[in-house]
Amino acid sequence: MSTNAPADPLAALGPDERAALSAVAERLIPAAHGMPSAADVLTDERLRFVLTARPDLVEVVQAALRPGLGDDPQARLDTLSRDDPAALGALQLAIVAGYYTDKHVRELIGYPGQEALTIRSWELPPYLEEGLIDAVLARGPVWRDPATGTRAVVSDAPRTYAERFAAQREGADDGHDGA
Amino acid sequence: MATDPADVLIIGAGASGGVVGLRLAEAGFKVVCLEQGDWLDRADYPGNKLDWELKARKDWATSPNIRGLAADYPIVEDDTPVSPLMYNAVGGSTIIFAGAWPRALPSDFRVRSLDGVADDWPIDYFELLPYFYRTDRQFGVSGLPGDPAYPPDTEDAPMPPLPIGAAGMKVARGMTKLGWHWWPEFNSINSTPYDGRRPCVQRSTCQSGCNEGAKASTDLTHWPKTIGLGAKLITGARVSRIETNDHGLATGATWIDRDGEEHLQEAKVVVLAANAIGTPRLLLLSASARQPDGLANSSGLVGRRLMMHPFANVAGLFEEPLTSWAGQFGDLIESLEFYETDEKRGFVRGARWGLAPTGGPINAALPSRAGEQAWGPEHHTHVKTHLGHGANWGLFAEDLPDEANQVRLSSSITDSSGIPAPEIHYAMADNARRMLDFHIERAKESMDAAGAYKIEVDRLMRYSGWHLLGTARMGDDPRTSVLDRWNRTHDVPNLYVVDGSCFVTSSGVNPTSTIVSIALRAADHMVETRFEQQVPA
Repeated sequence: MSTNAPADPLAALGPDERAALSAVAERLIPAAHGMPSAADVLTDERLRFVLTARPDLVEVVQAALRPGLGDDPQARLDTLSRDDPAALGALQLAIVAGYYTDKHVRELIGYPGQEALTIRSWELPPYLEEGLIDAVLARGPVWRDPATGTRAVVSDAPRTYAERFAAQREGADDGHDGA
Repeated sequence: MATDPADVLIIGAGASGGVVGLRLAEAGFKVVCLEQGDWLDRADYPGNKLDWELKARKDWATSPNIRGLAADYPIVEDDTPVSPLMYNAVGGSTIIFAGAWPRALPSDFRVRSLDGVADDWPIDYFELLPYFYRTDRQFGVSGLPGDPAYPPDTEDAPMPPLPIGAAGMKVARGMTKLGWHWWPEFNSINSTPYDGRRPCVQRSTCQSGCNEGAKASTDLTHWPKTIGLGAKLITGARVSRIETNDHGLATGATWIDRDGEEHLQEAKVVVLAANAIGTPRLLLLSASARQPDGLANSSGLVGRRLMMHPFANVAGLFEEPLTSWAGQFGDLIESLEFYETDEKRGFVRGARWGLAPTGGPINAALPSRAGEQAWGPEHHTHVKTHLGHGANWGLFAEDLPDEANQVRLSSSITDSSGIPAPEIHYAMADNARRMLDFHIERAKESMDAAGAYKIEVDRLMRYSGWHLLGTARMGDDPRTSVLDRWNRTHDVPNLYVVDGSCFVTSSGVNPTSTIVSIALRAADHMVETRFEQQVPA
C-alpha cells in the first residue's frame, strides 16, 4: 500500500506551502476561456480529497513547495523541472486532480465522469447497417495459410454479412481442409 | 510447517492457473493453489469513484514497481526500455488486463517455416481451435463472428459484440476508405448477462478492475467453481522454491506467509502458472546440487527468450465530440491488415492494432500515452480538444525470441520475504523497431483517412509490458526447449509450466486467449494420462 499519511494530510502543508501551491496553481491553470483558475478551485476540501486518495503524494508535494525555492512560481517550476522532475510531476498531478475532480469544473468541460451506460447488444450495430463490414468481407480472407504460405483462399467465403449469416444457418463447411 | 499433500499443486491463481485448476478439480484431482496475492472485493475497485484516475496511477498502476503493494515483488528493470506489468491477486493479471481476446493466428505457429526466423511451435492453430472455443465459453467472449483475418469458425463467440462507439465508427470509416482490414474486437467482456455476471457498462476502467464483474477475471470465472469442487486456494502464500527428491521428481513447494513463517506444501504434481517473469524466477530459485543452473534448465533456456511486444501508440484528435472516455478499454476495433510478412517492408512478421478509449480529464492534462502537456491559458483549450475527442491505435509488434533478452535473479534486491527479485535484461530488436516505424506510419494514414486534424505518436511506450512470454519455451527437443508439447518440463516429469512462458514465438496479438487455451489443452492431457504420470513415492 501507499505510505502512511497523517490523519489530515493537509496538516503537512503550512501557510507558506499553501501560498506557494496557490501561486503555482495559478501559473499552471489560470482563469481563461471561461474556466476558473486552479488556485480558486483548489480549496481545502479538494486538496484533502487528493491527498487522502494518494497519501504517497504528501511528502513529495511538500518537498516541491518548500520555501527555499523562492516566491516566483515560474522559477520554482523551472528549478523542479531541472532538479527534481518527480516532485514536479507529483505537484502537477495534485493540482490537476484537485481541479478536475471539482463538480463545477466537470460541468464546464462537459465531462460527466465514468458513467454506467446501458449497452443495447440486441440492436443491429451501426457498422453493419452502414455496410462497413461488407466492405471488409468483400476483400476476402486476410489470414495466411501455413499450408501454402500465402493469403488463404476460401472458395465459399461470404462476401456480405447477409451471406455469412445465411451460410451459418445452413451449417456451412469451415473452409479448412485440415492441413 | 507441512500441510496435507495435494494431487496437484498450482502456483499462481491467474489466468492459466485458474483454467488448469478448474479442469483438474472437475476431473476429481485434489488441487491446492498457492497465490501470493489476496482475494479482492470489486466494490473497492476505483473505476466507479471520483478518485479513479488518481488511484490508477499508484495502487492500481499496472506496474508492480509503482504499486509496491504487499502482494507485489520488485522487478529490477534498469536494463530494459519496457517495464513488465502484472497484478498479484486471485485472478492474477486478469484483474487489470484490458480484456482484448484475439487469438494467435495460424502463421504464428510456423514462423521458421514461413519466414525463416525464430522457430516453429510443436503445435498449431488448428490443434488449439477446440480449446479456443472452450475457453471462449469459460471466460465469456463478446464478438462479431466471421472475421476474415482468421480461418472460418464452426462456433461463434458466446455473446454478440460490444459497441464500438463513435470513435470506433470514425476510424472504421477511415479504414474502409483505405480498403484495409478492421473488425469489431473480440473481448472477454460481457455484452449480455452471462454465467451469473452482469454486462459491461462502458465505464472504460477495465485496467483498474471491473466494478461490474463484466470483464472476465478468474477470481470470478474459475476459482469459485474450482473451490466449490473441493480445491484449496491459499492466499498470501509466496513460494520460495520448488522441492525435488533424489529421483529428480518435484515433491511440492516451500512457501512463506505474510508473517514470515515458512510452510511446505507437498504434491504429486506441480504446475507453475506464475507468468513469464515469476515462473523462471522460481525455476532459477529452485537450483539444487542435481540441477545447479536451476530446475528444469538443462537446456539453459529458463528465463531466456523473454518477449514483451514492443508497443507504440498513435492518437488521432478529431473536431467532433466522440465521448471517447467511454467504451470497453479492451479495444473497440482491431486491424490485422499488416499482420503478415511482406519482405518489401524491410522486416519480417507484423503487428496487431487495437483501438482504445482515451481516458478522463486527468489523462487529457497529463497523458500517460502519446501527447503533450500544456500550461497557462492554453491548458483549457488543450484539455477541451483532447478530452473525448481522441482515439488511440495501440500497435503490438511481434517480438522475435532472442536469448539475450532474459530474466535473471538479482544478487542485491529481494522482495519483502527476502527472496531474490527478478532482474530483466531486454533490448528491442532492429526488426521490431523497423516494424513499429512502418506501422506507426500506416496508423497515421488511418487516422488521417478518418479525419483526424492532429496525430500524436508515442514510438515506444515504457509501461507497456503487459504480454510476458517465452521464458520456458515448449519444443520437441530437450536440448533446445524447456517444455514438451504438453507443457511438461523435459527434465522433471511431474513439473508443468502453463503460463505464457511456454510461448515459442510471441505472435503479435494480446496473448491471454492463446495462453489459456494452451493451458486447458495441457490440463486435458494431464487428465488423460493421469495413470501414466510419474509421481514421487
